Amino acid sequence: MIQLINVSKTYPNGIDVLYNINLNIGKEEFVFIVGPSGAGKTTLMKLLYREERPSSGKVIVDKVDVAELTVDQVPYLRRNIGIVFQDYKLLPKRTVFENVAFALRVTGAPRSSIRRKVMQALELVGMLRRANAFPDELSGGEKQRACIARAIVNNPPILLADEPTGNLDPTTSWDIIQLLDKINKRNTTVIVSTHNKSIVDDMKRRVVAIENGRVVRDQMLGGYNV
Amino acid sequence: MFSNLEFFIVEALRSFRRGALMTVVAIGTITVTLVIFGVFLLLVVNLGNIVGNVSSGLDIAAYVDEPISLEQAGAIQLELSKLSGVEKVDFISRAEAWKKFQEDFGEKLEIGEVIQDNPLPHTFIIKVRTPDLLPKIAQIVSQKSAISEVRYSGKLIDQMRSLVGVVRVGGTILVILVTFATLLIVVNTIRLTVLARETDIYIMKLVGATNNFVKYPFIIEGVLIGIIGGVLAFIILKISYDSVIFQVSSALPFLPIVAGGFILGIIYSVMVFAGTALGMLGAYISVSRVLKAEF
Ligand SMILES: Nc1ncnc2c1ncn2[C@@H]1O[C@H](COP(=O)(O)OP(=O)(O)OP(=O)(O)O)[C@@H](O)[C@H]1O
Ligand SMILES: [Mg+2]
Repeated sequence: MIQLINVSKTYPNGIDVLYNINLNIGKEEFVFIVGPSGAGKTTLMKLLYREERPSSGKVIVDKVDVAELTVDQVPYLRRNIGIVFQDYKLLPKRTVFENVAFALRVTGAPRSSIRRKVMQALELVGMLRRANAFPDELSGGEKQRACIARAIVNNPPILLADEPTGNLDPTTSWDIIQLLDKINKRNTTVIVSTHNKSIVDDMKRRVVAIENGRVVRDQMLGGYNV
Repeated sequence: MFSNLEFFIVEALRSFRRGALMTVVAIGTITVTLVIFGVFLLLVVNLGNIVGNVSSGLDIAAYVDEPISLEQAGAIQLELSKLSGVEKVDFISRAEAWKKFQEDFGEKLEIGEVIQDNPLPHTFIIKVRTPDLLPKIAQIVSQKSAISEVRYSGKLIDQMRSLVGVVRVGGTILVILVTFATLLIVVNTIRLTVLARETDIYIMKLVGATNNFVKYPFIIEGVLIGIIGGVLAFIILKISYDSVIFQVSSALPFLPIVAGGFILGIIYSVMVFAGTALGMLGAYISVSRVLKAEF
């Protein structure tokens, strides 16, 4: 599903972030990406949906070389990748429903199907009750659920979550990870970057550890540390 | 596209309201530009009209003060037309001239009440072949005993023609400069509203909106700004020009000012159209630039 071949990334300011990364992630896998702050986890995710391009090497998503896509093709790549952020990135002046619907509307989805799909997504993340609330009326966990609903409303085959529990307490974090696990079981490839040791240890999933821009460990059924 | 129209318009209005101050500035500049543009067009049209209305630059008017018979007039006409360099000679009797004058201006001046007697002389209109012949022929004609006075406006007409040329060139340059300045202001205004919505745009792009999809609301906003600016300019210019028409036609009734009809309609619609185009182009440029900088 996702392949990184000899990928390196240097930002225009000269900072080297990733060196020669090789990584293979199969369909419907669940992968944790761990590593200290500044290791390059976010950069790696940005390469997948082409917020950034690799300086060298190939990034292949669903058999397509992401760097080769034209500007017109990039949106269609992104429609296949749901993205969840640590800071949620919800639009503050819109309700939960509108935030989720936004992701469908910008793809030009027909009005008639939008409502049904948004309701389904909100139901899945357990936010149907809060559909008409504005983001600043929500708890952190609820905001993250709304963000996840927006990421999956399109039914993308890939879901990226960059430190989705970074701002949440342990119980809520666990709920969110359970939700991501549930989404993974509905045939979605899920990649989660995190600093949360207990979650990684408890989930016993594949772990890719990055340090100083290099993959230092890639372990099935791994833990946070070796 | 059509199913998204509502989305685009709602988004445009949202942004429009949010950037209220800058929006007002942009509308204001578009209005000012278009008023300048409109004034220029009116000036050109009117000068052209005046030049076109005044008799040709090749004409000499020769006046006869004394009463003469038609036969005498015919003889003088024949004599004049035999002069070398003269192409043709027309005779306008004082009665004809008076009638025409009354037709042209009688209504405006109610001239019949002011002037009872016909003050106009008999007139010969002598058309010469080339402008440089004017002084010589005028000189010869003025020496004829029947002729009391000779006038030709060759120079004046030439000067007016070149004035029209200057106005046209100068005005065009002015309009181009002002248009660029306005475009710059519109581009920057829309850019501010685009930047104010950077998070929105970022999220739109993350969830897979095409660039065009992101652009439409801003372009609609630009069109809205342009139309409002254009309509305001139209209203301002129409009110001002109507009062100019009123003033001129009472103070200088013989000046052939363009007072209505087709050509004014065109000028006014060109203004509104130009405003719309300006707003649209400005929005397109700025949103394209911001999107290029995005990922
Ligand atoms: N747009 C950018 N331009 C220049 N340098 C950047 C940019 N984004 C990130 N960096 C640098 O790249 C390095 C890796 O950043 P990245 O965000 O990928 O790390 P991370 O592993 O996600 O860290 P964290 O765990 O704190 O989120 C950092 O040194 C950062 O300063
Ligand atoms: Mg990060």
